[in-house]
Amino acid sequence: MKPTSARTPRKTAWATGLTAVALVLPLAACSTGDGTPTSDEPRTHLVYATGDGEPSCLDPHVGGNFPQALLATQVLESLVALDTEGTIVPWLASSWTVSDDGLTWEFTLRDGATFSDGTPVDAEAVKVNIEHLQDPDTGSSTGYLAVRQVAAAEVVAADVVRFTLTRPDAALLESLAQPWVAMQSPAGIARGMDENCLAPIGSGPFIIDEWVKQDRIELVRNAEYTTSPDGIGAPDAAAAETLTWRFIPDATARFAALEAGQVDIIDNPLPEQITVAENSEDLAHLDAPRPGASNRIELNTSTVPFDDQRVREAFIASANVDAGLETLFEGWAPRSTSALSSREPLAVQSPEAYVTDPELANALLDEAGWTERDDDGIRTKDGQRLTARFPVTGAQSTQAEQALFEQIQAGAREVGFDVQITLLDLSSWYGALGAYEYEMVSAPYTKIGPDVLRFLYHSDATVPAPSGYFANNAQVKDPELDALLDTIGTSMDVEERDAAARAAQEWIANASIILPIYDQQNHFLYRGDLSEFRALPTVNTPWLGTVIAG
Amino acid sequence: MTGEGWWWRAAARVGGAVAVLVTVATLAFVALQFIPGDPAEAALGGPGSQASAAALEAARAEFGLDRPILTQYFDFMWRLLRGDLGVSYAQRIPVSEVLGNAIGPTLLLTFTALLLAWALALVSVVIASGHSRRARSVASALDLTAAAMPNFWLASLLVLLFASVLGWFPPVSTGGFSGIVLPALALAIPTAGFLAQVCRAGVDAARTAPFIESARARGETELGIRVRHVMRHGLVPGLNLTAWALGSLLGGAAVIEVIFARPGLGRTLVTGVLGRDVPVVLGVVLFSACAYVVVALVTDLVISRVDPRTESRLAQAVPRA
Amino acid sequence: MPRHDRLPQRNGFSAGEWIALAALGVLVACALAPALLAPVPPLAVNPAEAFTPPSLTHPFGTDDSGRDVLSRVIFGARDSLVIGAVATLLGLAAGIALGALAGGSRGRLLAPVRFIADRVIEALFAFPGLLLALLLITVWGPGTASIVVAVAISTAPGYARMVRGGVRQALGSGPVEAARLQGDRAARVWATLVLPEAMRPVLVLATLGVGHAVVLAAALGFLGLGSPPPAPEWGAMLNSGRPYLTKAWWITFFPGAMILAVGIATTVIGRALERERRFA
Repeated sequence: MKPTSARTPRKTAWATGLTAVALVLPLAACSTGDGTPTSDEPRTHLVYATGDGEPSCLDPHVGGNFPQALLATQVLESLVALDTEGTIVPWLASSWTVSDDGLTWEFTLRDGATFSDGTPVDAEAVKVNIEHLQDPDTGSSTGYLAVRQVAAAEVVAADVVRFTLTRPDAALLESLAQPWVAMQSPAGIARGMDENCLAPIGSGPFIIDEWVKQDRIELVRNAEYTTSPDGIGAPDAAAAETLTWRFIPDATARFAALEAGQVDIIDNPLPEQITVAENSEDLAHLDAPRPGASNRIELNTSTVPFDDQRVREAFIASANVDAGLETLFEGWAPRSTSALSSREPLAVQSPEAYVTDPELANALLDEAGWTERDDDGIRTKDGQRLTARFPVTGAQSTQAEQALFEQIQAGAREVGFDVQITLLDLSSWYGALGAYEYEMVSAPYTKIGPDVLRFLYHSDATVPAPSGYFANNAQVKDPELDALLDTIGTSMDVEERDAAARAAQEWIANASIILPIYDQQNHFLYRGDLSEFRALPTVNTPWLGTVIAG
Repeated sequence: MTGEGWWWRAAARVGGAVAVLVTVATLAFVALQFIPGDPAEAALGGPGSQASAAALEAARAEFGLDRPILTQYFDFMWRLLRGDLGVSYAQRIPVSEVLGNAIGPTLLLTFTALLLAWALALVSVVIASGHSRRARSVASALDLTAAAMPNFWLASLLVLLFASVLGWFPPVSTGGFSGIVLPALALAIPTAGFLAQVCRAGVDAARTAPFIESARARGETELGIRVRHVMRHGLVPGLNLTAWALGSLLGGAAVIEVIFARPGLGRTLVTGVLGRDVPVVLGVVLFSACAYVVVALVTDLVISRVDPRTESRLAQAVPRA
Repeated sequence: MPRHDRLPQRNGFSAGEWIALAALGVLVACALAPALLAPVPPLAVNPAEAFTPPSLTHPFGTDDSGRDVLSRVIFGARDSLVIGAVATLLGLAAGIALGALAGGSRGRLLAPVRFIADRVIEALFAFPGLLLALLLITVWGPGTASIVVAVAISTAPGYARMVRGGVRQALGSGPVEAARLQGDRAARVWATLVLPEAMRPVLVLATLGVGHAVVLAAALGFLGLGSPPPAPEWGAMLNSGRPYLTKAWWITFFPGAMILAVGIATTVIGRALERERRFA
């Protein structure tokens, strides 16, 4: 008997295959539900995707890093703010006075301001907040340092609070403007750290509704919002009602979601993504460099080889930063030749101090005694190689920045440096710095105003805090520079302070202790149909309270 | 195999599985001992935690780090038994809570991928189960290629083709079924390749078995034979691989969830590895190993009940997940 | 009735298998002498030529820093294949030791040893390969050495299982019984009869194992846990090409294609070796 043909199982196969396809195709239709607007009405729901890490606690008083600041800007407000010119303007505080000796400040609070739980923004609330920052149990780093000079905050009247300082602080207003010193509801703080970390209560345009860890935060509009900062109007009736704050650490996925319309605004875009957005009709770009210090490579002046100024100058002369910026950052990151961000009105650019000149570099190294070379072409002196350890962490440096460091490494190699880049996780990176296992490092620091120079280059800043952390990575201990920096920190005379700030930057440029690269990059890409999207000038965090989508 | 005999053997198997679970936990404890640096510092968050000397002393006392190692081991096992996996360094919440948040999306992705893998594998085997040697060769080559594909490469190409160029599916998962298709496919295709190879080997081996010849001689239709005997002997070795497939998919989910920005155990794990968050990493890996043991036990029991002949001898041919 | 479906019985390799062997040979040559085969140094930065598509001067195109992708892929073969080979050898050694211990412990006296060794093998096998490697890297920190050892430990249980079975079988076989009765010393029995017999199928598995090790190492490199930049490792290259996927697909495509090629070649050759062994 002839066997029946094998067609029947083949038919089954085709049937199975077609069924599978038939099941999958309708799912494709579901994709249109993800964000593409189909009507003319503005969308009421906004989605923001951040590439910065997910905070462990949403209360910016605890710890104090940039991811917290990003979210806190939507929910919490500060006593004062900065406008786009860099001038301090009123916010929750409507006016203030300072005594002649600079030790007493009085702030009058805005009429009728309330937190979203109904508690009034009064002097008592401010007092509770300052005490919360100074309480060791809170574990505040950034906010604590910002109000270090405040001995006490007292209630003078219902809407007047008095700060008594231990010594004059010329940068107090800048400190109070930061999101890490934002005001929270005392009732909210009283719930205890566990609950307050999940959803701090503020007076801002949004209220935290739910935090789905490792995924997103859901926020809803604060219907009673009345306290817009000066220069930014109140939200329009058409502004978004709900906000989803997504955590998408992978840069490619984040941008792909923006392009596909699944997300409305992203931060930390890659340079080529910025180019695509600029050339696209559907997307727009906001460039908002962070204030404080620029992004720089600091050379450890306390140890070989960078204890010798000639070697420092040689390293700087061997680096072709401009070429790397042009290709890796596609022109979106202009070169900085200052220790301060270009956002700072007092920033002084010194291009003549940072010129690429490999011949000069070779000459300087010969002069400094590094005349021998080993088999790899690395210079040696008395049997020691010209080595510089460069710990880098992906948590602080983007892929493009790491590639730039590699190019600088290659340029340095040409003149005989052995730059050893080690890629570490954030914790190990801090460990390496704390153990002085570096000859060069790039450590960003965000702080408003020229006072950041004091944080970074005063000899006091070489003394480790109880935690082991110190900010003076260049290990500079110069009395002349210290005097200038002290003036910046304490002088209440504006002209004297400005002159000191300029002089300090000149000193830094002449001493060749840093290689400035660019401003701290802070770019946002967003859907072209959004309006009223801006950055809050204080530390250039995104201000989503007024955004109208569509 | 009589009913009672099976129960005894089942009990023995369960006992064996429990012993394996204990060994898994012990190996994890051993691995923990190799973390360089001060364990008290690691417990507080690593070298960058910059803990003071007083805090280190307190941590040493709290975690019993100055007690003999055997005591620490039993402490560890006892805590595991109660479900206490420690506290995440980065998120400052119990690891069990971290896992609880992340497990749902990963299970969804893994099971979708497993179903897809099975569907693809069966289609491939059935299509080529005819007499044409050429069709079998082509299908075999396709399976081989699929099985050898690195899933992160495949995922990137799928995103390029279906999301960027064609726009059929979203490149990132933000809820909704369409977001799961590409990640599930990227996971499913390599697994399907391997499943198909094993099924086909079983099918080919059974094709010429004596009982098939006698069935043909008895006059059963080719269709009948194919469906009953051939499929069954291709499926059983495949079913044996369910535990392996699950383990492999859980491993693959780590990379796929990162690429597609899906929340889940995989992304949590990678974030933990990059941040050296030891409790989270340990928690995810222990969970996966235990899931494998349990699933392997269950499939073993089911198969031994159904077909005692095909025992875990077949599992020997399996490569690493 | 003609029997269409007899199992093929042929000696020697098919055309496909020769191709696979040749491909693997080329890759090994790349690993041993990359400087001879690569047109340009792999680290040669050339910003002006960034993102050029595949052409005659750059068969695999250039990447974001203008480096030639073909040269980087060739040098990457050294990283990936050496890691794969060394990890497989280490895994083999560990697996054989563990498997021999488990399989060779017979009798009541050694029962606890057998019990523990069996459980360790099963427990190691329960960890999915990539996850076990990630755990070990978290413990030791990233880097090439960590990857090699992590991959070795991940692949060891597979070999251990096979060796265990082979040893048990060999110990119960006729020739071994005969040798014992003859009074041969245990060491001689092991060296000449048991181990060679047990290891034969394992060597086939090891061929497949090299492919698996290469993929596993590439996955770890993809996640950024391998050699630091600017090392040309296939997995890391693949990941660094992802942001440019729509603009320059070749940066991601070619390293991945190499990994696939290694996987296919080792599988084909492994299968052929198994077939030869069975019909030998």
